Amino acid sequence: MLVHHFLEENAERFPYKDAAIQLGGRISYLELEAAANRLANTLIDLGIKSGDRVGILMESSIKYIIAYFGILKAGAIVVGLNTQSAIRNFRNTLRDCQVSGLIINKNMAHIVKEIYAALPSLNFVVSESSYSHFPKDVEVVFLLDAQLKGDPSRPAVAIKEDDIAQIIYTSGTTGSPKGVSLSHKNLYANTSSIVKYLDLKPDDRVMAILPFFYSYGNSLLLTHMYCGGSVVIDNRFAYPNIILDIMAQERVTGFSGVPSTFAILMHKSNIHNYRFEHLRYITQAGGPMSPALTQKIMEVMPHIKIFIMYGQTEASARLSYLEPDKLLEKIGSIGKAIPGVKLTVKDEKGKVCRPGEVGEIIASGDNIMVGYWNQPEETKKVLKEDGLHTGDLAKTDEDGYLYIVSRRSDMIKSGAHRISPKEIEEVLAEFPSIIESAVIGVPDKILGESLVAFIVPNGKIDTKELKKHLRLNLAVFKIPREFIQVKSLPKTSSGKIKRFELVEKYKMKAKTS
Amino acid sequence: MEIAQQINNFIIDNFMMGRSPEELTEDDSLLEKGIIDSTGVLELVSFIEETYGFTVEDDELVPENLDSVNKLVNYINRKRQH
Repeated sequence: MLVHHFLEENAERFPYKDAAIQLGGRISYLELEAAANRLANTLIDLGIKSGDRVGILMESSIKYIIAYFGILKAGAIVVGLNTQSAIRNFRNTLRDCQVSGLIINKNMAHIVKEIYAALPSLNFVVSESSYSHFPKDVEVVFLLDAQLKGDPSRPAVAIKEDDIAQIIYTSGTTGSPKGVSLSHKNLYANTSSIVKYLDLKPDDRVMAILPFFYSYGNSLLLTHMYCGGSVVIDNRFAYPNIILDIMAQERVTGFSGVPSTFAILMHKSNIHNYRFEHLRYITQAGGPMSPALTQKIMEVMPHIKIFIMYGQTEASARLSYLEPDKLLEKIGSIGKAIPGVKLTVKDEKGKVCRPGEVGEIIASGDNIMVGYWNQPEETKKVLKEDGLHTGDLAKTDEDGYLYIVSRRSDMIKSGAHRISPKEIEEVLAEFPSIIESAVIGVPDKILGESLVAFIVPNGKIDTKELKKHLRLNLAVFKIPREFIQVKSLPKTSSGKIKRFELVEKYKMKAKTS
Repeated sequence: MEIAQQINNFIIDNFMMGRSPEELTEDDSLLEKGIIDSTGVLELVSFIEETYGFTVEDDELVPENLDSVNKLVNYINRKRQH
């Protein structure tokens, strides 16, 4: 099954049912499919061919969904980008995948001017609004025209299930972005598996506050388009009480978040005043959530099923889940493999570990990515004969439940973001009065982890200039909260920075101050 | 420095990531312009609490109080009068 068949099947089964809802606006499956067809036909008229890449630069919205399915229906590959990225990230990722076109909303129009010179492959922009600085040799089509006018019939494009449907960029451990290439088959396998274990039905309505450009948000969208449910989109989680009101008004049955989502809800909202009569379940993924926070959610929402889940973008999203009725008994566990996935814990020699022994999680199944876009060497490092080497170290208990012990890579999880310290260190190294630096994640009550930079200075550092340099070159969420100047960094004999030691040093300092 | 100027500087310094300061007018919605997200709001709240010496209550965490420079200035002035 192809990913856009989700939409096509439900446009036939439930033509007048709400597919998506946003700020009071609604779109039915029938309307959504017609708009996606029109956009697809527009893209084909603009010269898009099978396998071309088209970037989406917009926040989660009904328009994003139309763009997503329009691109797929044209036989092209969706590249949804983090709208909060710094200019150099946009430039690097879009150049990496050589996009032919961009679909953008009004907030992102200014980006085109900044990145255009680095993108010789860019032929057109489908834009929500006019903008005086679009380069002259790029064709500009208005989004509204593309969605409302033109041919609403399904384009006849031959697409195979092994064709790549989507590239999701993640921060690589080397600091340069890696494009996780997912086929229609990958996304279908993962979507149908999630729908099965969450028991999603056409009556389900999910509150979508997570951005669609990350794999977790993407899976919320796809699972509901697949089961014929509805996606209630709202990007105002900055004000959690608004989201709680919307959840009640729209009678949502599901809510999904990362640990920081739940920390904000429990500590910074009026959640205690709500009863959530229609809410059936919540899901949590995107990094480990503390058992204390899990217990707090159970106290506040005693009648709601809580699914703790684990996954990676490289696995289309999901790899394991813990059944809600095992939550207390197996607290701290990420559960067992989802349907259609096999997870094994292996030691460094490739031997399967016994219960209690720590090894790496190896995953196999139809949901495992095709590879990293144009990076065969990086792909080989993680995709091996026995499956995806996740880099996460775990052990199982006697009943086969998995417990993450540590993550082998140095990636930092802050809020909903997965951040490479290397990328930040590279930007810090470009600053003249810094000899070297190390960025670590330290525990944070709301974010899970927040960023701290240890810096070895060369003379005096002008902090104002340093912050300016970081703002120009990094997304806001990648800018360290704190800078600590040190004479040297602790290193192993092979010269690798002992990040663990820095984390301990920071914790000690926090305790004594 | 005036409150509006302080707030403006904080937002430009922390959330505008290389965007031109002219893009922000005093009535612009910080959310709709894509300037601030959920953790950004919490940073803004910490800044207000530290700078102006009062606590932002959970039920005050609403766009009517925080979503533009002008709304922030009005909110801070109201709180300081109490």
